[in-house]
Amino acid sequence: MTNRTVLAHEFRSILHDRWQVGLLLLFALLSIYAVFQGSRYREALRETATAFETEHLANAAAWREQMVAIETGETRPEDDPWAGLAMNVAMPAVLFPGPLADFSQGVTDVHPFTARVALWRSVDRLFGNYQFQSPGETRAGPVDPGYVIVFLMPLLMIALSFGALAGDRDSGRLGLVLSYPISVREFVASKLVVRLGAVLLIAAASLIVGLFLGAGGLPDGQRLGRFALWSLAAVGYFAFWAGAIGWIVSLNRRGETTAMTMVGLWVLISLVSPAILAAAAQLTYPAPSQLAFLSLARQVSSEAHREQSSVMEGMLLEHPELSVDNYTLPEYIRESYLVTQTVDRRVEPVLEEFDLVQAQRRAFLGLVQYAAPAALALRAMNEIAGTDLERQVRFEREVRDYKSRIARAVEANVLAGERMSVAEMSRIPQWSFPEPGLGATARAVLAPVGALFLFGFGFAGRAAGRLARLETRLRETS
Amino acid sequence: MTWVIARTELLQYWRDGRVLTVLAIVLLLSAAATVTGWNAVSTMERERAAAVGMDREIWNNQGDKNPHTAAHFSRYAFQPTFDLAIFDPGLTNHVGNAIWLEAHYRDPAALRPVEDAVEIQRIAEMSPVWVLQVFAPLLAIVLLFGAVAGERESGTLRQLMASGLRPAAFLMGKAASALVLLAALVLVVMAGSLILVRSDAISPLPDAFFRSSGLVALYIAYVAIFVFLALGVSALSSRSRTALLALAGLWIVTTVLGPRLGADVAGAISPAPSAPEFASRVEKESSDPFWGSADEAVARRQKVMDDLLAEYGVETTAELPINYDGYLLQASEEYANDVFDSLYDELWGGHERQRDITRVFAAISPRIAVQNISMALAGTDLFAYRHFADSAEQFRRRFVLLLNEEMIVHGGADGYAYVSGNDFWEQNPDFEYVPPGIREIVPNLRADAGIVLAWLGLAFSVAAVAVRRGLVGETAA
Repeated sequence: MTNRTVLAHEFRSILHDRWQVGLLLLFALLSIYAVFQGSRYREALRETATAFETEHLANAAAWREQMVAIETGETRPEDDPWAGLAMNVAMPAVLFPGPLADFSQGVTDVHPFTARVALWRSVDRLFGNYQFQSPGETRAGPVDPGYVIVFLMPLLMIALSFGALAGDRDSGRLGLVLSYPISVREFVASKLVVRLGAVLLIAAASLIVGLFLGAGGLPDGQRLGRFALWSLAAVGYFAFWAGAIGWIVSLNRRGETTAMTMVGLWVLISLVSPAILAAAAQLTYPAPSQLAFLSLARQVSSEAHREQSSVMEGMLLEHPELSVDNYTLPEYIRESYLVTQTVDRRVEPVLEEFDLVQAQRRAFLGLVQYAAPAALALRAMNEIAGTDLERQVRFEREVRDYKSRIARAVEANVLAGERMSVAEMSRIPQWSFPEPGLGATARAVLAPVGALFLFGFGFAGRAAGRLARLETRLRETS
Repeated sequence: MTWVIARTELLQYWRDGRVLTVLAIVLLLSAAATVTGWNAVSTMERERAAAVGMDREIWNNQGDKNPHTAAHFSRYAFQPTFDLAIFDPGLTNHVGNAIWLEAHYRDPAALRPVEDAVEIQRIAEMSPVWVLQVFAPLLAIVLLFGAVAGERESGTLRQLMASGLRPAAFLMGKAASALVLLAALVLVVMAGSLILVRSDAISPLPDAFFRSSGLVALYIAYVAIFVFLALGVSALSSRSRTALLALAGLWIVTTVLGPRLGADVAGAISPAPSAPEFASRVEKESSDPFWGSADEAVARRQKVMDDLLAEYGVETTAELPINYDGYLLQASEEYANDVFDSLYDELWGGHERQRDITRVFAAISPRIAVQNISMALAGTDLFAYRHFADSAEQFRRRFVLLLNEEMIVHGGADGYAYVSGNDFWEQNPDFEYVPPGIREIVPNLRADAGIVLAWLGLAFSVAAVAVRRGLVGETAA
């Protein structure tokens, strides 16, 4: 019996085993379902984001048209006193779904991805109302390709391969293996290659379907590059499990003990360690109280309203040039601006603290995540997909920054109660969200993905050593 | 005979290192989960108490202000987290815990804890019920996969049959031993949560005794399902290895895959509206038809004025003995309230439809039905959060009415220039939330309780038939 015959025999035995074929089919169905669902999810996000941006850009364009009408004399200034009111500047800020949001949904389902950046709103209310998702759905989490790869793929690998050596051991045919012209190591490796290869093949096929389905045709270079990286992370996780399974197989225990050990490892890797790490990160670096933040924003707002005369005085001391006598617009407009600016300034340290805690947690998890390969793989996949928490936190920070840039651009007009001109409006900054390039993302996930391969090869190396020793032992006793 | 078998089995568990290891891991996990849950709930309650106090203080000291301007600033309703959320946090992390009670708009609950969580928490949220729902079945499987198949393989089954042992006594003896151990685990986990609750100022839910007893009964029924399933599968399998594999597969489908797949399919069949789209609908549909410039809105406002003038028998609003602006504002509130009812019924209805579709998957996963009952008893399910949100909304309407009436009655000709002072704000009531009692939630539990009982009956039947067939077959052989 050669390597090739072992491979052929394994292939036939899979095809003739109804249970194994059934499991592979079930996995294929779930993978395709996940790809389809992921694609639908990303498309829905994209459509919503596009509709939001289009609607608010159209509003901004209509607002600009009013100013054009004033400047060209089409409308008399007294007929439209609100045209060009600087306080009414409102621009959309949108976080479009990451290039592979259909592959791993990440945290995109519970965070805002649109904001109407308006001076009437202080930073604590920039994202408006967005908490309408179904809590049952967000709690359960999605069945996306990331879930299939991180949770289901290892289970199928275990189900197909736990008997790679134990089957022969339990049936007393292990000694027979010695009569083959191949080593025990090659014998086991050939079996695992066929069994695990089938899993990898199905996973790869479904991901390729997802690549085209999510792109709605031919994927662009950005998506292709991300897909290659994401697939590399998935293969890294596969390699980790292949190595771990090989090592457990090489322990040469009874079938049920081998199966139990593998399932135990899956529970530990996929459920227990991520839960413990998440709890540890949150206990070690507790987030500042959201309720205290809310109370502070309200308190500052209330105080600023109550003491508007002193707020106004403070402003005039800072900007004597804006002390105009012909302020014809209602005073509450200028006051509202000063109140929201006061709130923004006062809550800034708390927001920085939120960001700091997230950064500390990220650094903490960046170190300890190596104890939980499922977390390692999932975080890397989310980062590549552009659905990770860090991108979300950055979006929220950029929106706040965008608001302060708009405020700086129109502040003089608001405070002086002067109508904006078309030229001034064209100087209002436009929203843009800088995304890290493929190279930067690749560098960021290099260590976690490399670690997955390393763990896998480490386990495989130990398995090879153990199998070699097993063969020596068997030959000595035979 | 049953108790002899049960005692022997318990002794064997005691001597089996694998069982003790798994049990120790499960106990450690539940201890860690309980402490984590207690820390989260007590922190949330502490922060809530501070926020409630602060909200009152800010409201009382807002100074001279028009009552309707104050209604825009308004107040917040803060969601309390009750004692049993330590045991089963349910949806706690996924619903907001503060609702802004502003005029003209019904806001959703904001500040969801999940938004502050690290992303890997989405893989698994550690809580005592997570340990019971996921790991207690696994422990049942470890205890019992070889209960019949193992005895058959080692030849002891035939000896037992030869000694005149009845299948029923065998089944009940094996089941009782595992059930004693697993019920003790349930009690320990529940007791851990309750002891920590008593050590802190966390508000208890009404009917706490019935709820806690219901939870204990529920989880004993849940582990019993897996005990009987494990016995049945073990009896049907020729080898313990086959039994273990089949049970591991069953565990994965029932506890890991089923609930997630069910929720995902439910989301696909009955998708929740997109957040920006729904927020925009609430804003536009509640405001534009009343305040807009379309003919319909103008006519609506005109009708409000005509009706009021007719009621007082005057020609102009200036002749009215009340403030017309305040009256119009209140009329707009009443128009908007119907819109909010309709839109939020649609939203919550969609969420409830998702839950009902997910319940269909309880046919392959009893965990889904158990989760629903458990969250309901712990006051952390959709019904509980809707109850809170609806109570807050009713308060918002009364509160805004109170402020508008202040302007209507006392505003006179001043209208928006009329101001009230701290004396008035101090008299305004606080939102006091009364959670639903057990009588209100029991009707919601019928479907899920039926599913759990059906699973229990099915599992028992499978075990009884399989053990009888297996044992009789063994005697015949």
